[in-house]
Amino acid sequence: MMDCARYRRSVLADPGDPDPELREHRAHCPECGPYTEGLLRFESRLDRALKVAVPADPKAKAGWGTGTLAPIEAAAKPPRASALRRRNGWLAMAASVAAAAVVVGGLWLSAAGPSLAADVVTHMAGEPQAWRRTDVPVPSNELQEVLRDSHLTLGAGAGMVSYASSCEFRGHRVPHLVVQTASGPATVMVLVHDHVPKSVRFDEQGYRGVIVPVAGHGSLAVLTRGNDADLAAIERVASRVQDSIVWTG
Amino acid sequence: MKDQVGGNRKRSRFEALCQTLRPDLLRFAFWLSRDRALAEDVVQETMLRAWKAQDSLLDEAAAKPWFLTIVRREFARSFERKRFVTVDVDELVAREEPMLAAAEEQDLAEMRAALFKLPDEYREPLVMQVLMGFSTADIARELGLSGAAVLTRLFRARKQLRVLCGEDTKLDPQE
Repeated sequence: MMDCARYRRSVLADPGDPDPELREHRAHCPECGPYTEGLLRFESRLDRALKVAVPADPKAKAGWGTGTLAPIEAAAKPPRASALRRRNGWLAMAASVAAAAVVVGGLWLSAAGPSLAADVVTHMAGEPQAWRRTDVPVPSNELQEVLRDSHLTLGAGAGMVSYASSCEFRGHRVPHLVVQTASGPATVMVLVHDHVPKSVRFDEQGYRGVIVPVAGHGSLAVLTRGNDADLAAIERVASRVQDSIVWTG
Repeated sequence: MKDQVGGNRKRSRFEALCQTLRPDLLRFAFWLSRDRALAEDVVQETMLRAWKAQDSLLDEAAAKPWFLTIVRREFARSFERKRFVTVDVDELVAREEPMLAAAEEQDLAEMRAALFKLPDEYREPLVMQVLMGFSTADIARELGLSGAAVLTRLFRARKQLRVLCGEDTKLDPQE
């Protein structure tokens, strides 16, 4: 069996390392179990400390982290060309050139607004850390904090949640969770502000998933990476998570 | 006409990608440089270069490391363009004090000040791992190091950080 010094060296280098040998040591060592819990609390603090607030407006060079600025995630609002032009001087220039090229080409085609699925997939690209396969659950206080703002709690039936973040999505803060399943991590976004009339399957940019309606509470998006992902299995995860949600407001 | 529609969609998706990734890239640049103004400049230049080179991004899932590589190159270029004077860490902490003190909780402010004091070679892989979500292999590839070297740096980074933050390190292992 792995000794304590080697275990602690490993977890200090990578607390999320899913190595089964580490898991076994953690489960059986009376000192390393509590040590790991303390380290995960430290890790949670480190994660929050690194996420400094930065200005949503690229032109606003002063005042990072002050209360006068929007949280950094405000920059991840849904893409609207006009808003983008207002906010980003450099992008406006590039966008103008692009727009001019189309007009010169003789035709202006207004692309359809991005679908809900496309927005979910775009959001995924911003959080690759969420996709780690791990057996280390997110600290329960952190999970509760993320869920609290959306007025819900999650029962154990949802499975082990390894990642929880409150994300800006389409102008609202929503829970972004990762549930570990037998076939790997599945991302769950609780979209309380986005209503869909019926379940929708999607397959975009290397992600496959479903968006299912949640009566009175918007919708739930569940997706995994990989073009060979089993959509029926994803739907089962969605169903399990939905059954485990307890709405508190 | 089909090509124009496809082009518009592609541009729109790229804009969305930039908007999504910009916050973490700014944070990464900030922790790399420990300087807000420089981080802004580096990310602005990164976005411009990314925009021009967007056709070389073949897989959106790989967007984050792609952008991060550009940020790191831009940061290196900024050193080529300017001659930076050596700055004392305490001066850096004092200069960025408004941001550090903006933390709602005192322990976060302490952690941020401690991060400022970490040597660059430890801080960078740590930020790549925790903030950017990179695996050891990703970090090794980006920094041109072996996996073992990355793990050693990450181990030393957390060990030093825990001491700087006044954590109970009795059970922390020696090297």
